[in-house]
Amino acid sequence: MPKATFIVQYTEFHGLIVTQRYPTSLSLNEKILNLIFLEHQKDKKEELIYSEIEGMKIGSYSSALYPGWMVCTVLSAEEDFDHLQRDLAGSGRLILALIAMDPESFSLEEILEKGSILKDLTEEQKLAEVFLTPSSALLLERMQTEGIEKAAKLSIWLRNQVQNDDVDLREAMAPLMESGIVAVELLGKTSEMVFLVKDIFGYREPPVDSILKIKETIPSIAEKYIEFVTEFFSPASPDKGYNPTLPVDDPNSPILEDREKIARILAERIHYRILTSLREQPLSIADISLKTSFPESVVRKLLYSLEAEKIAIRFEEEDLWGLLTNPRIESFLPEYLLPVISKKLSEKEISSDVARRHLELLIQTWGVAK
Amino acid sequence: MIRGVFVLGEQGNMIYSKEYAKGDSKANMVEFLVNLTHFLKTIDLEDKTEYMNVNISRIFYSKKDPFTFMFVADKADDANQIEEKMGELVDSFMREYANLALANQSLDGFDAKVDEIAVTMVKVAILGFAGVGKTTTLHLLRGETLPLVHDPTIGVSIKKLPEEISNANIVLWDLAGQSRFSILWAKMIANAQVVIIVTDSTLENVLRSKKLVSLVKDEVPDAKVIGIANKQDLPTALTPERVGQILSIPTYELVAIDISYRDRLIQIIRRAILEGKAEAKAA
Repeated sequence: MPKATFIVQYTEFHGLIVTQRYPTSLSLNEKILNLIFLEHQKDKKEELIYSEIEGMKIGSYSSALYPGWMVCTVLSAEEDFDHLQRDLAGSGRLILALIAMDPESFSLEEILEKGSILKDLTEEQKLAEVFLTPSSALLLERMQTEGIEKAAKLSIWLRNQVQNDDVDLREAMAPLMESGIVAVELLGKTSEMVFLVKDIFGYREPPVDSILKIKETIPSIAEKYIEFVTEFFSPASPDKGYNPTLPVDDPNSPILEDREKIARILAERIHYRILTSLREQPLSIADISLKTSFPESVVRKLLYSLEAEKIAIRFEEEDLWGLLTNPRIESFLPEYLLPVISKKLSEKEISSDVARRHLELLIQTWGVAK
Repeated sequence: MIRGVFVLGEQGNMIYSKEYAKGDSKANMVEFLVNLTHFLKTIDLEDKTEYMNVNISRIFYSKKDPFTFMFVADKADDANQIEEKMGELVDSFMREYANLALANQSLDGFDAKVDEIAVTMVKVAILGFAGVGKTTTLHLLRGETLPLVHDPTIGVSIKKLPEEISNANIVLWDLAGQSRFSILWAKMIANAQVVIIVTDSTLENVLRSKKLVSLVKDEVPDAKVIGIANKQDLPTALTPERVGQILSIPTYELVAIDISYRDRLIQIIRRAILEGKAEAKAA
């Protein structure tokens, strides 16, 4: 267990402030804070940095998502930074996510005692991240129409769309590349091509697993649970309920808005931890706290926010929380691109090499049909 | 630091707004404040000031029918002090400007009153290359005894001026001059109302310091920039006029180790703050 942990915030008027420390007897000075801050300013990505300052071994975590904040851990002499990296980054990530929610909503001591951490993004979260960067979502829309496009052409298109010459295609493309939705390859000597190899679909699914499980374990609430879920997905007429498969043309339609909401919740790591803990079955706050290692006060707050988004639901008498809807983002083979590729090839918009490479990439991603 | 002051009418209409520093996106903030005003109509604050955290800021709000008053401040600010300021603002507005606002007339004089109440802190950044006497200037301004050994600043040293200027605390940011800290300069001069560029008055240092003037003009175009021709007691020193010509900013002589310069320097900073305020008002 590290010797101490402290949280530092940089503001333009107050400079570097230690907002929380554990234990409270930890003594720090301006020089230590400044040197840690300097290291983090050199590279503004999410990162964990090791420093030795005034005989203290310090691991500090910062993230571009939470500018100005650092979570710093003082290691004991016998502790090895390399072995602790994963946990230090995980707890730093969690503490910053909680601060973003409400800096006064959690106790540093409780987080440290529980050993709570936030892991790296799952596949599902990487897909969801696409919708969090507006220019990435725009690019995906464009690729759904074009299938294959020259990177240079796509870059010009994006600049026109966002009316900004400084927009960086690589940055906008990063969530799409990291989640494997597009592949970017240099074909020939100069032509960098972008291929759409996966499409994605975000929706709410009924919490079937959770309902089946509750039928076995607490049959007394199963009926009530099914009633809640039915009311959301297929209420009695004239209410329409929720059907994400209906085709939507209106860009302001509630279904598209909801898809963004789903993506946001899946990508927000602390909400995601609560959500995944409930996918199996309804649980009490104490059980969720045990499963996620989040303090109960934090779990309660997150559940209320998920309830407002119609994701979680509370069984008041039993004091249990379950999923009302189960947000999902899934990838699928963009079959609709086959005629697009064929048309582009016949109209000589792309060469046969490019068309062949696109098909190869689709096969590599999705396997050969039997 | 109060970043913004807003007074809204019964329908959520903006009667008065002033921003002292960049914060969250203004359009989003205004939309949020208007929605908050509508919400506040449904509750009774009992003449109290309450606050809530929103993104990087803390919003303080108070109601006096039919007006809603809001301050956007930092989370690190002293809540009691801001609440006191809110009380002063509400009293002053209700006493002298409420009838004008209700009659849709201009609120002459209210802007100066808001400045008097809301400007609680002025950031003054001291910038310059290593060894030119920035920290000595800071000690001089604070009336402190000079240390016998030179101890280079690490990152930034933030200290308050003992005197207030126009009822505001003057916070001095003494930025480390060593080149390894240069990546911090642009970030740390953000939202400074006055930037003092200290030189040691040698030709080489003054020529190098021209870069700092450009940096300041790019990063904080609204700040008042002052040049300091320090170490005037040395034989190699260029005159303050010559330093000022090279830097193209108003420049003043200084011997930071000589306490007799203290009052003059404080007067220079006071003038810069007041001129900055006057320019902001004219703009």
